Amino acid sequence: MKVKGKIFALLILLFLLLLAACSDDAGTNEESEGTDEETTTEETTSDEDADPFGAYEEAITIAIGQEVDPTDTSLEEGETPLNNKYVNHVKENLNINVEHAFTASPSNYDQKVSLAIASNDLPDAMIVGPVELRQMVEADQLADLTQVYEDYASPAIKEIIDSTGGVALDNVTFDGKIMAIPNSQASADGIHNMWIRKDWLDKLGLEPPTTIEELKEVARAFVEEDPDGNGEDDTIGLAGPDTSNKLYANFLESTNNLYGFDGIFSAHHAYPGYWIEGEGGDPVYGSTLPETKEALATLRDMYAEGLIDKEMGVREDSGESVISGKTGMFSGPFWMPYGPITDAVTENPEANWQSYAVPLDENGEYTPHLSTPTSSYVVVRKGYEHPEAPMKMLNNLFAHESEFDHMEGGGGPGHYPLRLVYAPADEMEVTTVAMREVLAGTKEPEDFYDMPAYKLIKNDVDTVFDAKLEPYDNMDIEHWDITSTSFTRAYSALVGTAPQVDTEVKGVPSLIYSQTESMEDRWVNLKKLEDEIFLKIIMGTEPLDSFDQFVDDWKQQGGDQITEEVAEVVN
Amino acid sequence: MIRSKSLSSKIFDIVLIVILCSIALTCILPLWYTLAVSLSSKSAAAAGIITLWPVDFNLTSYQQLLNDTQFFKSFWISIQRVVLGAGLNFIIVPLMAYPLSKTVKDFRGRNVIMWTVIFTMLFNGGLIPLYLTIQELNLMNSVWALVLVGGAQTIVFNIILTINFFRNLPKSLEEAALVDGAGPWYILFKLFIPLSIPVLATVTLFSIVYHWNEFLYGLIFMTREEFYPLQTYIQQLVVSVDPSQMTEDQYKRLSEMSNRTLDAAKIFIAMIPVLVVYPFLQRYFIHGITLGSVKE
Amino acid sequence: MKAKGFAKHYYLMMLPGFVWLFIFSIIPMFGIIIAFQDFNPGQGVFNSEFVGLETFKYMFQLNDTPVIFFNTMFIAIMKIIGNLIVPLLFALMLHELRYIGLKRSIQTIVYLPHFLSWVILGGVLLDIFAYQGPINQLLGVFGLKPILFFGRADLFPFLIVGSDVWKEFGFNTIIYLAALTGINPALYEASGIDGASRMRMLWHITLPGIRTTAVLLAVLGLGNVLNAGFDQIFNLYNPLVYSTGDIIDTWVYRTGLLNLQYELATAVGLLKSVAGFILISVSYYLAYKFTNYRIF
Repeated sequence: MKVKGKIFALLILLFLLLLAACSDDAGTNEESEGTDEETTTEETTSDEDADPFGAYEEAITIAIGQEVDPTDTSLEEGETPLNNKYVNHVKENLNINVEHAFTASPSNYDQKVSLAIASNDLPDAMIVGPVELRQMVEADQLADLTQVYEDYASPAIKEIIDSTGGVALDNVTFDGKIMAIPNSQASADGIHNMWIRKDWLDKLGLEPPTTIEELKEVARAFVEEDPDGNGEDDTIGLAGPDTSNKLYANFLESTNNLYGFDGIFSAHHAYPGYWIEGEGGDPVYGSTLPETKEALATLRDMYAEGLIDKEMGVREDSGESVISGKTGMFSGPFWMPYGPITDAVTENPEANWQSYAVPLDENGEYTPHLSTPTSSYVVVRKGYEHPEAPMKMLNNLFAHESEFDHMEGGGGPGHYPLRLVYAPADEMEVTTVAMREVLAGTKEPEDFYDMPAYKLIKNDVDTVFDAKLEPYDNMDIEHWDITSTSFTRAYSALVGTAPQVDTEVKGVPSLIYSQTESMEDRWVNLKKLEDEIFLKIIMGTEPLDSFDQFVDDWKQQGGDQITEEVAEVVN
Repeated sequence: MIRSKSLSSKIFDIVLIVILCSIALTCILPLWYTLAVSLSSKSAAAAGIITLWPVDFNLTSYQQLLNDTQFFKSFWISIQRVVLGAGLNFIIVPLMAYPLSKTVKDFRGRNVIMWTVIFTMLFNGGLIPLYLTIQELNLMNSVWALVLVGGAQTIVFNIILTINFFRNLPKSLEEAALVDGAGPWYILFKLFIPLSIPVLATVTLFSIVYHWNEFLYGLIFMTREEFYPLQTYIQQLVVSVDPSQMTEDQYKRLSEMSNRTLDAAKIFIAMIPVLVVYPFLQRYFIHGITLGSVKE
Repeated sequence: MKAKGFAKHYYLMMLPGFVWLFIFSIIPMFGIIIAFQDFNPGQGVFNSEFVGLETFKYMFQLNDTPVIFFNTMFIAIMKIIGNLIVPLLFALMLHELRYIGLKRSIQTIVYLPHFLSWVILGGVLLDIFAYQGPINQLLGVFGLKPILFFGRADLFPFLIVGSDVWKEFGFNTIIYLAALTGINPALYEASGIDGASRMRMLWHITLPGIRTTAVLLAVLGLGNVLNAGFDQIFNLYNPLVYSTGDIIDTWVYRTGLLNLQYELATAVGLLKSVAGFILISVSYYLAYKFTNYRIF
């Protein structure tokens, strides 16, 4: 009996092992099929005539990974992320059927990309960041797009990518091969100005601050003198980062840091998170320099004095207190009207949010850090039959983007599959100047119609009078029609971008904007070390001098090695 | 009761009642607060002035919720998951527990299998191999992935509980059945299972609650939101996002939606099934747990 | 016993459950070998280069490793203690309550939080403990400054432990209450006649009556020393509290799935599994030794 039982158990085990083995076989078969396809397709693509906008004769299918915001309401009745005018546009113009290999909310998109990479089960194309790009190149998962870019990128896109001075292509070139299609974004996304409630300044009889000292005085007045006049001690001087934002933008994520302290650091000539040239000319990491310690000391004092939001770092969304009229100042890029400001002025039409190029350094100069011209990439799976299809989709998007914006009434083509942003580096500044000239009557809207790379400028100059009321040279909120559909865009351009048009920007770029090899393993932990200790220093739970300990730790735990690598890349 | 009703005893009683009631109140108030937020206006919620009563009472968030088809899709997926998961749990648990409740003397392979089973509860290869396995089995986007993966990780505990219950059943019953020539299947189905309703109800309740509440596997195994179970759906609404990776229009949409009252309404509705189920099963699970665990 | 020839039926009974566990728990364990590789997703788990213990060496160099192990154990041990003592006190109080209807109602209410998910309770708690939330408003009434509860690394572990004990105490009371009902009423009657006070009865009859239960639960808690509660912390933490609130499970999730460090995440996960297995074995042994009770 006993022996029988054992044999029975063994049989079960054998059976199960067989099952497992079978499923493994299936897996390897699939993979080998994939490589077969690859060899055949490379020939077919090179046979075809390369037409950047040409439709396929027979419909092809592309399965992509797409970010879909669950709370998005911009789609019209009856439309879905897979069935909407953008997807149909791709189908009609290019004869490409778009399918979703996966979708994920913004917060889960990275996780889905990571699982796809780890399991080597990739969508035909998707958008990734620099870290994922490097990992995928190393795993040999990507199609070589050198030829695709040469033959298929539209002249307009090539022009914009070239306008980055080679940086965009450098970021995606590995061993001389282009492994992804880079985006190119306007530099305005990377300049973080100070947004201030001008109505509060006026009410308290204050001038806009210029230096850090003046900024502190304004913050103090905003906290202590009850600027909202409700008799309660409930206002915030300077907002701080929420859980989704950072103390400062860094070389890997150098744009769109909301509610950070970027300006206060750069006014100290401190560039934490950036690789800058050290005294001897070699690259150094900004977070380890004494200027950063000084800036931290300033922030620490401000926090201790209650000038900075006590709840920084924990809020889900620092914008909420901007909307509800509790915050007096925050840092952010030009497009903050797309963020909390439009809501804030809807709640309270007197909230006169203006943007300033402050604080200035001790010489009275504005020295913010500058962003990378490129941060996201379209990658194509190795073995996909039509590696040029994503490039065609991007050509199509760029050629028609301004039409889309018209259709949306301002929302933007967020649902366009594989959407990358293409903008000339000076897009916003040029737009702002154009709108001002039209408002002043020195130029006509028609003068700006023939500027294809600036895809929104025509619409902007045409609609500027819808939102801006007289007098045209006064940007205070009472001289705007906040109900106009073009208000958000026009306010972003005329108010949000004004500081960098009117002030000379002595910006500081990072020496590199992508990872080096040993960063792949070590960076996350070094970054964490940095983030934690800086936050604690500012919030006063660690002494200021723990900064020195951080610098030692950072160097020992791989920082020195990484610095050497950066030097190699740069020189 | 023979205890004396002296004055001190009465005071003791009153103090006791006050303490116990206030503790019980702490278990209700957070939920009450959520309800109050869901019934308040958006601006009142953003300003944080709600305490225990709705401010600017209105039903807007519930009206918005009715238009949210994905919420109800996810609700339905969760229901399916619970029914399949708890059903499977109900069938497999006694089948595993009965042989394993035997001693090594009666069933020689028992200890090896028991430790193997325990081993599966404690070791895992991480999420990525699990993901690969599900992919090979073609279970991506299937509710079965949630049922089977989640179930495999929780069933072991339920088996242990049931084993303990079975062990505490009077030995004489089984012996008498054996004398009558009953086989193991007969003993399990006609004797043990009818006597084990409390513990089976308990493990079923555990399974229902687990499958209703689990959110992570939905995030991993479902490639599209339309397949998310309810808790996954809610989780992705409540967690924060990274605006540095967003385009400006995405951000705009996000800020328009930042809607605490609607979130509160969703949270409240998601609690209701649990609120409805557990009081009914209460008398069973009290028996199930206590008989299954300790016998003084 | 006389169960001749039953073994094959026992195996047959366990077959479906065992197949289930095998496919969904045992097969995915192959992923453990990632910890010993320089994992290259393009080449897959079976073809990546082996690097021996390199990842483990790196793991021990990291500042994070001791921190997350300490955080995990600190939070878990505090939880075990809290979940032993609070339910015990509550059960003793409830046991003293002589109004059966009220007793039932309180019991039903305090079970409630146990059945709600951390997705939901996380959302609710973050709201309640927000800077302008009701708790801080209450503090304001007493003239206290508002506290940034979930942003304070020094408070975070205690908030985690506190909210977990709050969630579970009602449910954990069940076992104590059962032990209390198991005490022979004749003992109370006898001492009542002797004129003993309620406190004396508590000390001399009630507490000794549930000693075994308490010891057993304490020993079993040992198996959980490395489980500090992924769901709870995942839904409540933020980068401000990583230093005290990041536990092994959340760290492994972030490292493996968000930062693409697959090998490191697997290695740490494996270390946790091994340590957990040892702890469970020890607690099994201790429970058997002290209370003569076999868990499984």
